[in-house]
Amino acid sequence: MVKLRARCILVGDAAVGKSALSQMFRSDGAHFQKNYSMTAGVELLVKPVNIPETSDSVELYIYDSAGRETFAEACEKMWGQPSVVCVVFDISSLASFNSCSRWLQRVRAHCNGLQVPGVLVGNKSDLSSRREVEETTAQDWAQSQGLQYHETSAKEMENCDAPFLSLAQAFYTLYQERRQMIQTLG
Amino acid sequence: MINTALSSFGAQVVLATSSDENHPPENILDGKTETFWLSTGMFPQEFIIRFPDNMKVSLISVHSFNVKHLRIEKNTLEEADKFQVMAEKEFEQTENSLQTNDISVDGSHATHLRFLIISGYDHFVSVHKVSVEA
Ligand SMILES: Nc1nc2c(ncn2[C@@H]2O[C@H](COP(=O)(O)OP(=O)(O)OP(=O)(O)O)[C@@H](O)[C@H]2O)c(=O)[nH]1
Ligand SMILES: [Mg+2]
Repeated sequence: MVKLRARCILVGDAAVGKSALSQMFRSDGAHFQKNYSMTAGVELLVKPVNIPETSDSVELYIYDSAGRETFAEACEKMWGQPSVVCVVFDISSLASFNSCSRWLQRVRAHCNGLQVPGVLVGNKSDLSSRREVEETTAQDWAQSQGLQYHETSAKEMENCDAPFLSLAQAFYTLYQERRQMIQTLG
Repeated sequence: MINTALSSFGAQVVLATSSDENHPPENILDGKTETFWLSTGMFPQEFIIRFPDNMKVSLISVHSFNVKHLRIEKNTLEEADKFQVMAEKEFEQTENSLQTNDISVDGSHATHLRFLIISGYDHFVSVHKVSVEA
């Protein structure tokens, strides 16, 4: 049995639903905040994720960061060295999608050249009538950046666990690879 | 005793921030470089070695992989709750072999040695062997 720990940096424009998404995940769908309450800084959420078909788990330390530009610098100071990254946009806002590359660069600047597994999340999939970003567009960009793509709706409790489970799984895979590599050294 | 397992002198690891049951911290003291303790994510990481008695320490040798910044602290029986910095070192990165570092210290006595791994060259770092010369 092994318990890994991963620092998950959660970023994206203001009001795309980062806090809603991470709180749905943490509370197993029990808590959706309907009224917008802006995050001013970084909020830390911790949740263990079991890796299927093993007795192993990954404890995710989710750094839910403010999207508002005024807080960006203060947030970055709290990130430390990221283990995994989650970039969120709102599928009904093209502007929020266009910001994703900037968010990703920001996080990568803290990674010291390490391979950091990541996901791209298109949230608010319940607003499909107002969709401004096609799934294939998002999927293509994600792939070009080595990210896995997931669509979620925190409001409808749709798929909210998927991005976090896939991050945990990717970090776990990385651990197994490193473990095997180190085993050949001694 | 640089080539002898510290565990045969009654030394023990009394704390480690990570544990994979396949790679327990006891592997650090068994005198072998094949077995190792593996950190399981995030920094800092630490482990503490306890000697059965105050022990004179003048050289600490560490076999590891992907450790970047290491700080070693010690305490004595007389001042058990006070750790003092003994040495601090930035290890060089290696590709296909273990890092081997000999760290000279002042030859004073210690009951506990605390190894604080502040950063690494990867998400996960391993420590294969720690030995001490009086
Ligand atoms: N329709 C819909 N609304 C959502 C969804 N997720 C979040 N919201 C709403 O969007 C607003 C912003 O959500 P937050 O989670 O606070 O957004 P945030 O990304 O954390 O914003 P900052 O903290 O300012 O960066 C809130 O009013 C939420 O109720 C969703 O999936 N669908
Ligand atoms: Mg928020």
